[in-house]
Amino acid sequence: MIEKIRRRVLQDPLFGYFLIIPILVWISVTLFYPLLRAIYTSFLNIEFLGETGRFIGWDNYARLLGDKEFRLSFVRTLVWSGANVLLQIALAFFAALVLDLEFRGQKFIRNWILLPWVIPVVVLAMIFRWMLDPTLGVVNYVLQNTNAVSSPVPFLGSVDWVMITAIFVNSWRWFPFYAVMILASLQIIPPQLYEAAKIDGASPFQQFCYITLPHIMPVLVPVILICSLWAVNVFDMIWLLTRGGPGNATQTFPIFIYQKGFQEYRLSQAATAAVFMFIFLLVYGTIYLGTVTLEEK
Amino acid sequence: MNSAKKFFQNLAKYLAVALLVFIIVSPIYWILVCSFKPTRELIRVTPTFVPHTVTLFHYLGLLKETGFMTYFLNSIYVATGSAVLVVILTSLAGYSVYRCRYLGRRFFFNILLAIYIFPRVLLLLFLYPMFARLNLVDNLLSLVITYVGITAPLNVWLMRAFFTSVPLELEDAALVDGANRLQILLKIFLPLVAPGIGAVAINSFLMSYGEYLFASILIVSDQFKTLPVGMAQFLQQYEISWGWLASGSVLIILPPVIAFAFVGRYFVKGLTAGAIK
Repeated sequence: MIEKIRRRVLQDPLFGYFLIIPILVWISVTLFYPLLRAIYTSFLNIEFLGETGRFIGWDNYARLLGDKEFRLSFVRTLVWSGANVLLQIALAFFAALVLDLEFRGQKFIRNWILLPWVIPVVVLAMIFRWMLDPTLGVVNYVLQNTNAVSSPVPFLGSVDWVMITAIFVNSWRWFPFYAVMILASLQIIPPQLYEAAKIDGASPFQQFCYITLPHIMPVLVPVILICSLWAVNVFDMIWLLTRGGPGNATQTFPIFIYQKGFQEYRLSQAATAAVFMFIFLLVYGTIYLGTVTLEEK
Repeated sequence: MNSAKKFFQNLAKYLAVALLVFIIVSPIYWILVCSFKPTRELIRVTPTFVPHTVTLFHYLGLLKETGFMTYFLNSIYVATGSAVLVVILTSLAGYSVYRCRYLGRRFFFNILLAIYIFPRVLLLLFLYPMFARLNLVDNLLSLVITYVGITAPLNVWLMRAFFTSVPLELEDAALVDGANRLQILLKIFLPLVAPGIGAVAINSFLMSYGEYLFASILIVSDQFKTLPVGMAQFLQQYEISWGWLASGSVLIILPPVIAFAFVGRYFVKGLTAGAIK
């Protein structure tokens, strides 16, 4: 009886389309249209914003790959994202393990751990720029007073330090987000498994390797993917902390594209770099998912 | 022996918790404290970790002498508008990908998730001329349209997690009573995914409220600037006033923190459910 009604009422494909079409239209305009335009523009020679441009085939791509500045920004993007993923996942792991313990105020902290993520990037960038300032910053004051360093560290002012500093600041903002997700997977591990392992005399390290890790893999895999895709995409934090400098020390892909597009107005080159970045992310994502699924089989 | 062991375990545990709390809170504590210090104390060579004198001087100056309030209202307008639209779009789409059966459903859902790989700068490069042609540059609507586009897809994923927790027996009961699909969605599912609506709303609100990249290019005149851009600008324009920086930061943080205090736990719940489903 109910089966019959369900089939009659629920099997109306039009209703499903009707509900999903608004969002598809919306992202077609705001996401797919710009993508198609970017691909198109990457084959034109628009040297200045507003020109119509002429079809020049793959010239922009050839030029881009021959550009040393671009190649360096590619390397920086890899360094930036790789380090961000490692640091964020490590911090998130630490936080998730701590939050998985029983302690007073645990519920409260489990929610408010997201505080860094709640705060707008622009504010964080300003706070950290101030705190890390060589002369007025509190961090350097503490470091010098505890004799950890002899002279102020130019965290954001020197080529040697700026990348590491930016990576730390960005990770500080994002790790709570992944901590919540990793914590979620920790909590569904049946406690009996640990008890059984303890009886069998497994060390905490063995318990971690043979119980914890396999159980959180289904969450860890997508988390690392999302984390790396977002890291490559970061613009605000780098731009507001360093403007891509000093020199070009923190000029990752998004910064490079922004500078080409909105400071030099070389639309075709910016579009080519952006398409390159898109393809890079697409290939990375596909390979990542492909490899990981293979491992599972 | 056993109690000593327990004591050290507890100590280690609370040290770990304290370390975590310190990592999260210290920068925020610092800016909060600084916002109440008089200028003299702010630029002291030896910083004070607890202010000697407390003053509202910087707050009053900021509100009176800068466009803070204008930027603030613009930001609230954009963030609220985006949140409302995202909630509408994602509750429809979330239900659609969860409960409807049609050709291409899986594909649409994957497309929505694939927007992770769209470089934001790429979007900006060509949304700018598009809005220019539509006469929407320097109009807050352009920001709302953009923010909905970039936040809605991921929130479908969040929303779907909430839909899956609705017991299907309720749907059966409504079917027996002769309800049609739209009624089932509006009267059975939507009220039960209210926490999901809260989660999606806070997520898109926060993202739109603090967004810098698009806001810095799509808005030109001062009266339409949102907080992130306005704030970044006046801090660079004038000789940097540390007092304004601190008090402005605290004021910017306030609305998101208040909003999070109300619905943050739903977002955490959604993230948790989304992660393990």
